[in-house]
Amino acid sequence: MAAKSTARAERRPGPLVYTAMALLVLASLFPLYWTFVVASNDNSVIGQSTPPLVPGGHLFDNFSRVFDSVEFWIAMKNSLIISTTTAVSNVVLSTMAGFAFAKLRFRGRNLLLGTVVATVMVPTQLGIVPLYMMITKMGLFASVSAVILPSLVSAFGVFWMRQAIDENIPDELVEAARVDGCRLIGVWWHVVLPGVRSTASVLAMFVFMTAWNDFFWPLIVLPPGTGGTVQTVLSQLAAGYFTDYSLIMSGAFLGVLPLLVLFVAFARQIVSGVMAGAVKG
Amino acid sequence: MAVQTAEKAPPAPKRSAGGAPEKRGRKRAFGFDRKVTPYLFVIPFFVVFGVFGLYPILYTFWVSLHDWHLVNGELGFVGLDNFTELFHDPDFYRALRNTLSIFVISTFPQLLFALGIAWMLDTKLRARSFWRSAVLVPNVVSIVAVGVVFSQMFAPSDWSVSNWLLSLVGLGAVDWPANVWSSHLAISVMVIWRWTGYNALIYLAAMQAVPRELYESAELDGASRWTTFWSVTVPSIRPTIVFTVVISTIGGLQLFTEPLLFGGVNGQEGGSDHQFQTLTLLLYKYAFVQQNSGYASAISWVLFLLIALMAVVNLLLVRRISSTR
Amino acid sequence: MGTTRIVRGARIFATCGAAALVLTACGSNSGSGGGDITLTVADFGGFGYDKLIKDYEKSHPGIKVKEKVAQFDPHHQQLSTQLAAGAGAADVVAIEEGYLPKFRQSKDKFVNLADHGADKLKDRWLPWKWEQGVTDNGKYVLGYGTDIGSLAMCYNTELFKKAGLPTDRDKVSALWTTWDDYLGVGHKFVRKVKGAGWYDTDQNLFTAIMNQTQYGFFDQDDKFIGDTNPKVKEAFLQAGKDAKKLSAKLLAFSPQWSAGIKKGAMATIPCPSWMNGLIETAAGKENSGKWDIAKLPGDGGNWGGSFLTVPKQGKHPKEAAELAAWLTAPEQEKRLFAEVGALPSQPALLKDPAILGKTRPFFNNAPVGKIYGDSATALQPNYRGSRDGDIRPGFSNALIRVEQGKQSPEASFNQAIKEAKKALKLG
Repeated sequence: MAAKSTARAERRPGPLVYTAMALLVLASLFPLYWTFVVASNDNSVIGQSTPPLVPGGHLFDNFSRVFDSVEFWIAMKNSLIISTTTAVSNVVLSTMAGFAFAKLRFRGRNLLLGTVVATVMVPTQLGIVPLYMMITKMGLFASVSAVILPSLVSAFGVFWMRQAIDENIPDELVEAARVDGCRLIGVWWHVVLPGVRSTASVLAMFVFMTAWNDFFWPLIVLPPGTGGTVQTVLSQLAAGYFTDYSLIMSGAFLGVLPLLVLFVAFARQIVSGVMAGAVKG
Repeated sequence: MAVQTAEKAPPAPKRSAGGAPEKRGRKRAFGFDRKVTPYLFVIPFFVVFGVFGLYPILYTFWVSLHDWHLVNGELGFVGLDNFTELFHDPDFYRALRNTLSIFVISTFPQLLFALGIAWMLDTKLRARSFWRSAVLVPNVVSIVAVGVVFSQMFAPSDWSVSNWLLSLVGLGAVDWPANVWSSHLAISVMVIWRWTGYNALIYLAAMQAVPRELYESAELDGASRWTTFWSVTVPSIRPTIVFTVVISTIGGLQLFTEPLLFGGVNGQEGGSDHQFQTLTLLLYKYAFVQQNSGYASAISWVLFLLIALMAVVNLLLVRRISSTR
Repeated sequence: MGTTRIVRGARIFATCGAAALVLTACGSNSGSGGGDITLTVADFGGFGYDKLIKDYEKSHPGIKVKEKVAQFDPHHQQLSTQLAAGAGAADVVAIEEGYLPKFRQSKDKFVNLADHGADKLKDRWLPWKWEQGVTDNGKYVLGYGTDIGSLAMCYNTELFKKAGLPTDRDKVSALWTTWDDYLGVGHKFVRKVKGAGWYDTDQNLFTAIMNQTQYGFFDQDDKFIGDTNPKVKEAFLQAGKDAKKLSAKLLAFSPQWSAGIKKGAMATIPCPSWMNGLIETAAGKENSGKWDIAKLPGDGGNWGGSFLTVPKQGKHPKEAAELAAWLTAPEQEKRLFAEVGALPSQPALLKDPAILGKTRPFFNNAPVGKIYGDSATALQPNYRGSRDGDIRPGFSNALIRVEQGKQSPEASFNQAIKEAKKALKLG
């Protein structure tokens, strides 16, 4: 064991590496810090020859002005509904399909799986014009369903869950459950889901974040003025007659905050998810 | 569905009547379960993809063959006229150039930085999960927030953060949105900032899978860290590098939010002279501002083919790399 | 085991079922709960409705009003998609005069306010304002006029003093009868004062000059004449020819524009009445009294001013029409003039001593009522084509190109014409 760990032992980082890393982290955090600084100052600090670099005491004033000038709460609610629903549906539908592809025999399986893999990279947002027409015809324009429906499940999720199920669930376990009289839906619920719980929750988190940050499609079918999502409402603050920097940055800060909190709470899982995705991809 | 059928299918099996009828009912349910349920499991994906993915893309081609107004509907079949017009449209070529230029300026530094960061993370760092999370933070921030914040940092005024930094090193203020190079640079910085850490973690994962013996033998040969990095690390993770290039290409060709927000009011124009209008901005402009669906659909298809072409080129590259190894 | 399994299985489906329910529940847009009616008002900022709305809610129990504010162009672009989709539009929607002709073409999507007693209100408004908001020879009333934007020139007295120019508003008005005079004074100004532009941006100059002409981009048959109407080119060159020297080069209504006002980055801004409020907010209290208002070179004109319309897709057309009528009633317009500077579009008010006598402390107590009101009754509004809104961004960009030094005014104008023709191709 000891021998192995020395074999795996990486280089010991010198102070140079630590300095470089520290600078890097500073660079990645500075824009966020600066957002906070402007958001917490009043607008009078803008236009000085040195930009403000120290937080002020107006954060909550500015927040309440954001709430007054755009419908942030409705947007927040919409974003939550969209992100949560897509996260849940992606987990359910991806693990089901992944289970079928990984463990079940049925005619056309390989062909269908091949189709899934082939669609992973298809940039579906290029079909946006007909998609928009379809959504309007269905009477879903300006509803959260318009945003949710196209992302209920993704090829990436199916493919990822297939891998996870293939690796983590032994065939014997599936067989045993079936001999026990479980139907497939039962096997999925009792064996598959618990077996890939951690990967599935990373998938859920990723879907949640992607849905939360999505902009192009919501801008078209759920634009601000019809409720909007946090992102589309945020984009409103950026220009036009809203000419107040503190307001803009407060909005940006508010839009980022929920995901930052989520990230701080689940950083380890998210990091491992990104790294796992790399190996699988 | 499956549950209901299974529950109701056995016609009231009498428990007292022994195992036989129950077993038969069960078997039938089991057969159904075995044969049909797998399809029920995979069908939602294909329905969603078919309805909201494949169908719109195919239908886009149909729309592109028409004069078609987003609101007023179809206005007549025009064959390939939209494509002909597009191929004679200087705006299209400019958007293509802009897209490729921003793609190059943002992707290559980004991946180089990411390699370097991954190399630093792949050491015995203290508090390693802190460092790993910290580099990923920008990726969690939404593109809209990035666009909003960086557009202010790159505002064309003397007092914007970027110009203040330039003034610290004695350089004059830059009117960032005004020029081709400066606007492309500003937009690329947004992309680089958001994606470098993400790619670094992907490289890190790949680097950890590199057998340590390779490093040891390199060290025994007296190779410096620099040579080890280029002669051992990079070749070993080549497939992963190609993977990130593919992903960045697909994303880069569809760049939309950053230039839109950087453009401010009427952002779909991509600057006063369309100097940073990307293909997707052009698509958005024609589809939803000018409401010219036919033309927008033609742009969609060209973009689609372009991405497919890039994907194939990348695929061939991967093939070659794996065969030379 | 068997039963729990089935029960559990059922529960899984119950959750999936619930997800589906959530979907449909969200699909049908949430209506009004309980007895309360919620009305939404959509505009593009600067209307000053927030206080009025609170009063309305107080005097109309059971009705809640929400204001939704969006950027100018997106606001109108989104309205057309909302109308086409038949969903998503607010109950009361403001449409600016430049965009109104476009929406007049889809009048069927709007409630005819004549069905809600508009005829009785007709006499409230200046005849030309009323005409802008109706179609079918006045039978179809699309919207109630809000404010109008007669023109003046706001100027920064401190910067004028620095340049040795007079600061008294009559003397300032006497400096320029024509735009050439105005630009001439500008050249003197920039020679004396460094670090400030003569005007904020050539975009605003262009818009102001264009609004003094009777016909701009379109003739009365809605044909594009931007390339043949000499007035358009004249206005463009007038605004652009000295922009490199005279302009503060601040993108109109951008955050930089506001910050520039606060910093005193420009000496003058062509300002319709509604812009008073924007300038005042942007400059902040510390600059109170440093600005003043003089006459604009050239003839009178109208820039901006909107109409409140009621899209048919709303659930409460009657209440919405009432709200629109209330928001544009004389008492409210009077208040808005005091609060945000929106000039009333109603002749009775323009003769009202309370309005005529109104001064604005921020603008060195300029008699805004008199300055703006005087020209309003006589003015000839500029004719708008139905696709005015579609080509304006192209001309804005052209003027930005001139300021950025990317193109000569001539070349930039030619490109703008080309782009305008391209934009008008379909539809």
